[in-house]
Amino acid sequence: MRIQKALTSVALGAAVSLLALTTALASPYDKYKGTTLVVNFPAHPHYDAVAKVLPDFTKETGIKVEVDKLQYMRMHDKQVLEMSKPQGDYDLISYVIMWKTEYVAKNLLSPLAPFFVNAALADPDYDPEDILKAYIEPVGIVGGKKGYLTGVTGALYGVPFGSETSVLGYRKDIFAKHNLKVPETYDEMMDLVCKFKDLEPGMSGLTSRGAAGHQVGHAWLLHLNPLGGTVFDDHWKPVYDSPEGIKAAQYLKKILDCGPEGGTAFGFDEMKNAFLQGKAAMYLDSVSVAGEAENPEKSKIVGKIGWAPHPKGKVKASQTGGFGIAIPANSKNKEAAFLLLQWLTSKATDKKIALAGGSPSRMSTYLDPELQKKFPYYPMFAEAFKAAAYDWRPLIAEWGELNAPTLGVALSEAMTGKKTIEQAFADIKPRVVEIMTKAGYYSWSK
Amino acid sequence: MPTTADQTTLHVPQGPALGDAPSRPRPHTGRRARRGKRLLNRSTPYLFLLPALAFMGVGLLYPVCRSVWLSFQDWKLGMAPESAVFSGWENYLSLLRDPNVYTSTGVTLTFAFTVVVLEVLLGVALALLLERPIRGMSLFRTVFILPMMVAPVVVGLIWRFMYSEQFGILNKIAKAVGIGGVPWLSSQEMALTSVIIADVWQWTPFIFILAMAALQSLPASAIEAARVDGANTWQTIWHVKLPLMMPVIIIATLLRLIDAFKVLEVIYIMTDGGPGLSTEILSLHIYKTAFVSQQLGRASALSNLLLLIVLALSVALFVFSKARERQARKVAM
Amino acid sequence: MAKRRKNSDLGLIGYYALLIALSLVCLGPILLMLTTSLQLKTQIFDDKAHFLFMPTVSNYVAVFEQEHLARYLTNSLMVGLISTAVTLVVGCMAAYALVRFRFMGRDTVSVATLLLRMVPPAVLVVPVFMIWTYDFDLSNTLSGVILVYIALNLPFVVWILQSFIEQVPNQLEEAARMDGANPLQTFFLVVLPVIRPGLAAAAIFTFRIAWNEFILALVLTNRFTRTMPVMVSLYITEHNIEWGQIMAVGTLIAIPPLIFTFIASKQIITGLTAGAVKG
Repeated sequence: MRIQKALTSVALGAAVSLLALTTALASPYDKYKGTTLVVNFPAHPHYDAVAKVLPDFTKETGIKVEVDKLQYMRMHDKQVLEMSKPQGDYDLISYVIMWKTEYVAKNLLSPLAPFFVNAALADPDYDPEDILKAYIEPVGIVGGKKGYLTGVTGALYGVPFGSETSVLGYRKDIFAKHNLKVPETYDEMMDLVCKFKDLEPGMSGLTSRGAAGHQVGHAWLLHLNPLGGTVFDDHWKPVYDSPEGIKAAQYLKKILDCGPEGGTAFGFDEMKNAFLQGKAAMYLDSVSVAGEAENPEKSKIVGKIGWAPHPKGKVKASQTGGFGIAIPANSKNKEAAFLLLQWLTSKATDKKIALAGGSPSRMSTYLDPELQKKFPYYPMFAEAFKAAAYDWRPLIAEWGELNAPTLGVALSEAMTGKKTIEQAFADIKPRVVEIMTKAGYYSWSK
Repeated sequence: MPTTADQTTLHVPQGPALGDAPSRPRPHTGRRARRGKRLLNRSTPYLFLLPALAFMGVGLLYPVCRSVWLSFQDWKLGMAPESAVFSGWENYLSLLRDPNVYTSTGVTLTFAFTVVVLEVLLGVALALLLERPIRGMSLFRTVFILPMMVAPVVVGLIWRFMYSEQFGILNKIAKAVGIGGVPWLSSQEMALTSVIIADVWQWTPFIFILAMAALQSLPASAIEAARVDGANTWQTIWHVKLPLMMPVIIIATLLRLIDAFKVLEVIYIMTDGGPGLSTEILSLHIYKTAFVSQQLGRASALSNLLLLIVLALSVALFVFSKARERQARKVAM
Repeated sequence: MAKRRKNSDLGLIGYYALLIALSLVCLGPILLMLTTSLQLKTQIFDDKAHFLFMPTVSNYVAVFEQEHLARYLTNSLMVGLISTAVTLVVGCMAAYALVRFRFMGRDTVSVATLLLRMVPPAVLVVPVFMIWTYDFDLSNTLSGVILVYIALNLPFVVWILQSFIEQVPNQLEEAARMDGANPLQTFFLVVLPVIRPGLAAAAIFTFRIAWNEFILALVLTNRFTRTMPVMVSLYITEHNIEWGQIMAVGTLIAIPPLIFTFIASKQIITGLTAGAVKG
């Protein structure tokens, strides 16, 4: 109720101020009035919040928006198909961070600079510096260091929209009841994960993704980074099977073994629900769950959750991930699409989306007093971004092939006990080397 | 009451086998036809066939040929088709080097043969057990064909829901009975079994219906003769009914086997191939190679591998059907 | 004598008990889908199974409100009906030619048709996607989906219709010919009406495949042309699986084939047995 009221007042305010503007000057949106933009968004809590705010855009600008909502792991196939045609269906797409390099390598995205230099399109109050660095650099920039990181050779192709980092959620009530300390390091956390089975009947330790493919790979990366491991070294030699990689897998196996039943088939939804339905004492994954966790319709643990930074291993390194939005190179309405992109990621909209339950991307939103009162964990989250690891996973164009079908399968085999971790890692080495060789990564080392 | 089902089944023994030319009346080659009509008559069969051939050519044959061609190309999804380059046997060689391909082939064969064996055993056993003209049988038969009519995607959804370890009905029952939770889809050992159970649920009725039809079309005289000779029920089944049903059972088995290689949706929804590769059947592996790994050439090479397996089975079906027909003709003479 | 009678009575009870148990196994999962679609999320997630509950249509309301359900239902119906109609006409003609005529290449056609029946849809996914997208410009259109479904169903239809056409007495056609009918007239006016039961069986099977098919539709459609099975698969999301709504859509997809089963089970069984028993 309150959200709605706030929303309408914000919307009304925006509408009024805009009205004032239009009487003075022609609105930048006028030229595109009546255009219909087709956007491809994932089924995701952030985008559920966006759906509530999106009608305001049409009201303010007269530009219509049609959303094609897809499951996010399937979105990639559809986008590649659409964007590789001479004329595509989509004007704006939401992409997962790990697809950016591939898309740029295939020339599927429009660079954003031509729009930001166009005075008729670029809003002078956009304030790009306010967008979290830990988001815009890994999500939006392609072409810098290693090709996928930021750097002087890089350029901007997308803007973070629904980005995520990892935080630790824990049951305040259970921790207090048994006098447990909230883990700050990996050692402390690993000590705790198997304890809850005995302390609380029906409760398990840390809920984790574990399903074969992308899911279990993601879970492993969550631990690999703090432990100081990487998938490739600086010369693209695969080092995922380094002692750190093996240790991360051992940790993950212990977490899954002591976690909720069926963990090795968990995707994000099952993993999250185990926590929200009160079957796990801890949660270590994306911040995007925070909104839902306090919604009594979806969560049985409202008011019982504490949030803490991702525990420190050798280093502090929480995830960088989530979504960005970009304009396909074959869109028919690029300029209008840019206006939508800019509107969606503006300060005002970022706040509106946060109020509707989405994940904001701007520091100003996290520091907003009104929002901090409503979401007491915001200051903690803002802190967490500082520890986000930019090079969290190799965001190379070949990652799709390496991630789910290769690493994700080996890890799943190791987690379910089909193979030892070492064996599973060794078995995929030839395939990893083959993929990398074929893409030309080793042609310079000869 | 002779149903159409009975008619078709009754006519099994002298029924012509697939696709060959048995001695049949040839109404249209009569020499009496007038010359003017002759040309029309001669082209008539082609006119009748043309539309079907066109559709199958464009929608089946051409794609299959194109897939063979594609398997010798290196082409990534999302790149223009012009960017494809000829790569010789590289796609095939790469498949041979990839242990996952062997695993996936193994899973496919295990899945297909297990489901078919289970379905045939169960289906035939049930048909023998339930063969008895009773009231209400047609209603029961209707109920039995329901699972086959449900979309595979929906079957996958239903079973995934039932197998859920958090809220699925199967584990609720297991816990109530005191067995404890079963890791239906989350353990490497169990997942393939769970997928097989779902398939057996959907397709055993198919074998059952066929076996039932075969039973009903058996010559009553043979069974009567066995009874006169003093054979007990078991002996009648073993020495008379089963051998007579055998041709139908074998055909049904091969048909199911070929269909088992077409399975994709149920597994795509239930496990998406996991955990590990424990349920990654070839058809799913093809899809993933094409649209997740985006290697269209490699996916085509995999497609051809699957096609080869299915083709071998089809030839077996064909050869068997011919042999049976020859036998039938001998009997008829 | 009396004892024997009792025995067979017992046997009959056991017999019916077995039949009912089997029916429950067949029906159970389908009923579970139906009941789940009528439950609230809290009931679905509850640790206890709910057998008695107040049904709610909220899942159906949500499904009809949220998505372009009408669009996808229409697509599925169009694809199912059009591809069935075309497949039947075309397949029937081909089957007739194969049964009633002897001509050059007849055996080749017959064998090729049979072999094409075995092609798994997964094998078609890549080349069809490629050809439809880059050569024919048919991707994302309903025509594209319909075309591939016709091709996919034809071998099966040709195959089972042959056995029905064989049973049409030759005299009927002779008589028509005497009356001066040309082959096409003979086919449409004499043969077709006689094989109506076979047509019904073939129609149901064709429709079932076109209505239920998923993987080709997934690759060949977009937000305008998506069919119901593709739509329901999109409900398996990463972040929120609404099982109640999934089961509601699942029920909607299951309804037409289930209705067919009840009104035409005899034809279905005919089709099944004709298809397989015939070889």
